[in-house]
Amino acid sequence: MNSFKQSRRNFMQNSALMAAAFATTGVAGLRQAFADRSKELNILCWEGYNSAQVLDPFRESSGATVKAESLTNDPTMINRLRAGETNVWDLINVNNPWARKIMFPEKLIRPLDRAAMEPYFAKMAPDFKPPYKWAMDDSGEQLIGMAQRYGPYSFVVNTDKVSRATAEDQGWDLWNDPKNDKKYGILESDDWNVFNLCCIAGFDPFREHTPEEVTKFTETAKRVFKGAKVVGDIATMNQALVSGEIDFHMTGGTYSASPARADGAANIRAITPNKGPMEGGKGGISWIEITSVVNNPDVSPLAVQFLQYVQDPKVAHTVAFAEGTFNPVAQMGNPECFSLFTKEELDAIQYDSLEEEMARSVEYDIVPDYDKLLDIMTAAKREASGG
Amino acid sequence: MTTLGKIFGPGTRHAVPLIVFLLIGFAAPLLAVIGFSFIPARTFELWQSWSLDNYIEIFNSTSYLSFLWSLGLAAITVLILAIICYPIAYGLARVFGKYSTLVTLLFTIPLFVSENVRLYGWVLFFIKNGVLLGTLKAWFGIEPDSWLFTSGIIVFGMVYVYLPFMLFPMTLGVSMVPDQTRDAAFDLGATRWQVFKEVELPLSMPGIMIGFLLSFVLAVGAIAEAKVLGGQQIIPISHDIEIAFTYAQNWPLGAALAVLLMLVVGTLVLFVLRRFDLDAILGRR
Repeated sequence: MNSFKQSRRNFMQNSALMAAAFATTGVAGLRQAFADRSKELNILCWEGYNSAQVLDPFRESSGATVKAESLTNDPTMINRLRAGETNVWDLINVNNPWARKIMFPEKLIRPLDRAAMEPYFAKMAPDFKPPYKWAMDDSGEQLIGMAQRYGPYSFVVNTDKVSRATAEDQGWDLWNDPKNDKKYGILESDDWNVFNLCCIAGFDPFREHTPEEVTKFTETAKRVFKGAKVVGDIATMNQALVSGEIDFHMTGGTYSASPARADGAANIRAITPNKGPMEGGKGGISWIEITSVVNNPDVSPLAVQFLQYVQDPKVAHTVAFAEGTFNPVAQMGNPECFSLFTKEELDAIQYDSLEEEMARSVEYDIVPDYDKLLDIMTAAKREASGG
Repeated sequence: MTTLGKIFGPGTRHAVPLIVFLLIGFAAPLLAVIGFSFIPARTFELWQSWSLDNYIEIFNSTSYLSFLWSLGLAAITVLILAIICYPIAYGLARVFGKYSTLVTLLFTIPLFVSENVRLYGWVLFFIKNGVLLGTLKAWFGIEPDSWLFTSGIIVFGMVYVYLPFMLFPMTLGVSMVPDQTRDAAFDLGATRWQVFKEVELPLSMPGIMIGFLLSFVLAVGAIAEAKVLGGQQIIPISHDIEIAFTYAQNWPLGAALAVLLMLVVGTLVLFVLRRFDLDAILGRR
């Protein structure tokens, strides 16, 4: 014990110094460890890409740790990158306009190698032939993302209560008919709800709105929320449709109706109106997901590999029917991929009318005065409280 | 001994790790929320010019409706719970005897299942053509209107979810009343009603008050009942806060609403505690 010459105080001081020294080198060491990202991939996405069916084969083949976080709202995901999470994520999967109009100009994502990736577009459905608008930057020079899932997304009816023909003809006016009070639901999806309320009010959502239109929007929002029997998520809407609680619900499409259809409820059908207030008199809105490589200063080399992996016909089929919702994929343009879909699966995603419904839809876009309209809608929802 | 050592006794010094832990884990997030409530709307940077704009915005909006709904629903829930729970608590403490454990278990077991799962269970029970209405239709040929997605069903859900939080403190309160006191009251000629009013109720008040406070504070923050059972027919304040933090991406507004909710609930709780002076009631025992 004599060899231990330190006083208690000295010992404490030295220990503290050593701990501090260890902490410093420890952090530096960890940072070094993090720098090697060849076996790590982080994906920020809509649900489906985070499913084990899609990720596990990639994990096995690459031996990598793949983490995917799923969110169901584009602006939230973009804000995560803006808030500094560009050094966390390698891939981001959002709806079409965000990559081209927001993320690339704001340097949140990086361009892809056109020569390596464009051949995949050549194999997709005809609408996606290269250069595909939403996968390119504004100049048309840079490829900034890959396309996969897409679909029309307007509203859904129970065809036992409202026939497909009536719904397509009447379109958004279904919500302007006082007879339909308390017969419909609203699938909570705030940006899409804003689009739909604009359509019901009779004007195009995807442009700046006049004060008169904003007033009309306010009235419409109050009336539509007051008349709603239920506001909820996809499962709630499908359950309410199947049980007969509601006859139709706004904001919906193959994405939301497909789980019910896959369960055998063929009377639940996504509808695209024949006409509406949008460009060219169109009444429907569609979405196309674009997956981009995040402008991560230390991006994983697996990011591009993953984008190539999901182009494989079998994996594309898995993505289409990953857990949660079922959707058409652009890769169905390749006969090798299309042949993997059974008749039931094609029926679940309403493949019979997919082309015509996409043709009757304008593509999802950014609403310039979204924040203002969302605040009005939130207040309308609150004021409708208690029916 | 250093000056510092003189000021901070050994007790304080040994409590330092715990104080630091509480500051980081409890006070810091709370202060962050308070700080966020003063920054400009729809921004994410804490260190910028602070103002009261978010609060002014709330006072100019219809947010008071959500506050009123939350407070109103919580008050109704607590009232119903008090009426339902007192007889059960009395039973558990004085009547059920050896069956008390079984009854307690029956009330406790559902707590092991997630609240959302239990509420979705009730959706299946109440939904059109579901367990209740489907059975009525099949057996008796009657088809009443569905009760789902109404304000009444929200209160039902809240009473169901928060029942144990009223029941168990109340049971504790009732069991605190000594038999001798009750017997003495009867011996001195008190009626059953007098014994309840003059002896049992005052003496079990600590438990009743804790039950009131616990279930009220929890019920004011309730969100799942209005969403799942109520189909968002009512937007409580917690839902408003959630919308601000998620879809609206307006953290400062959400933070200001949260601070106001804390203030409102805190004031109410303090008022009740002062009015009833829980310490004195507990001390009297």
